Amino acid sequence: MNPASTANINLAELLVRVDNDRDLLRDLLSIFKEEFPSYLRSLQQAVARTDAAEIARVSHALKGMFANLAASKAAASASSLEQLARSGETPSLKRAFAEFERDLHGLLPEIDAYLAEVHL
Amino acid sequence: MKILIADDDALSRRLLEKTLTRAGYEVCAVCNGRQAIEALSGPDAPRLALLDWMMPELPGPAVCTEIRKRRDQSYVYMILLTSRESKEDIVAGLESGADDYLVKPFNADELKARLRTGQRILHLEDRLVEAREQMRFKATHDHLTSLWNRGVIMDLLGRELTRSQRENVCTAIVLGDLDHFKKINDTHGHQVGDQVLREVARRLLLSVRSYDFVGRYGGEEFLIVLNNCRPDSALGRAEQIRKSICTRPIQTDAGALEVTMSSGLLLSTDWGHRPADDLISEVDSALYAAKTDGRNRVQVAKPVPTPETLVGIPIGSERLR
Repeated sequence: MNPASTANINLAELLVRVDNDRDLLRDLLSIFKEEFPSYLRSLQQAVARTDAAEIARVSHALKGMFANLAASKAAASASSLEQLARSGETPSLKRAFAEFERDLHGLLPEIDAYLAEVHL
Repeated sequence: MKILIADDDALSRRLLEKTLTRAGYEVCAVCNGRQAIEALSGPDAPRLALLDWMMPELPGPAVCTEIRKRRDQSYVYMILLTSRESKEDIVAGLESGADDYLVKPFNADELKARLRTGQRILHLEDRLVEAREQMRFKATHDHLTSLWNRGVIMDLLGRELTRSQRENVCTAIVLGDLDHFKKINDTHGHQVGDQVLREVARRLLLSVRSYDFVGRYGGEEFLIVLNNCRPDSALGRAEQIRKSICTRPIQTDAGALEVTMSSGLLLSTDWGHRPADDLISEVDSALYAAKTDGRNRVQVAKPVPTPETLVGIPIGSERLR
């Protein structure tokens, strides 16, 4: 698998951020992999009960993580979900969350691929 | 240099921690605002802080406000980390007391440059504090002997007298004057005279307890305040102080010089409620008596009995001799 072809993560930008430190890169990817499922679960539950404040909080946190990983598409998607939740447009939250999930598609496999690579 | 990172995002924390450790900082990382305040308190706390804007418990700007309320601790240079870009936020953040802000994800070089700005400010504060401490020392100490200067020793005496009256204890005052000091100056020059004064000051400090006060009252006059002194031990202590000067000669550029000191001693409990200036003039009279009585001795200042104080005291008692 060639991760660059999916390009959810801007690897060049990420490598500059970690100053070419492969250990740090591995740490960041592992932290994300470990923490992401519980964030996503909180988000799904918040969307299910239309808890705008919680959606804003979690999507804000995810936005920060994506941005740090140079995953700009995912970050932008989390950001629009956050904005929407803050503006109180609750009717469109479910649709926005579906879009967000679609935008994330491919990000996790890509992270796994990078992790496998840095573990070598 | 120590730096605090407060961020609830583990990924961001790890990234900052590694980037800053690599840049030579000693990193302390916490994950909410309460912990940040705790970490920034205490004598050895970091003076540089990177605070995430949105944190559980207490957001970054609230941490800044809380830290800025303190008056007794050194300045903390605080940078807020934000992923939002709206102008109001930045204004509110800076008004909360933050020094700077940085938009996440940050650029490592920019982060380091902004921290250097912070270090410059902290360095400036250090220099100001140091200068203030020097000024404070100069304003309160005698420049030759580093003892308390006259103004301060008189203030301290006044304070101790008030306290000893309140607590019903005795403050002993020793006013000492070097014997024939003028002759040392005239014979060996002022530099040697200064060496004598410095050594006398050192010996006086060594002969009292850490909570007693020693000041340079005038040219070769020293005022010593013995706090909470037992009346029956006061004379013994004044004698000890006198002996600390005369038992060993003082080494100077002009050789070893024999130096002695005459003293007046006064116990506050003998004098009732009298202002410090009055007591000084009484102890000064006792000092004068010690001089006329042959020098290198201690003379106790006792009140002259008035008709009221005589009531109940039999003729021929200790008081009348």
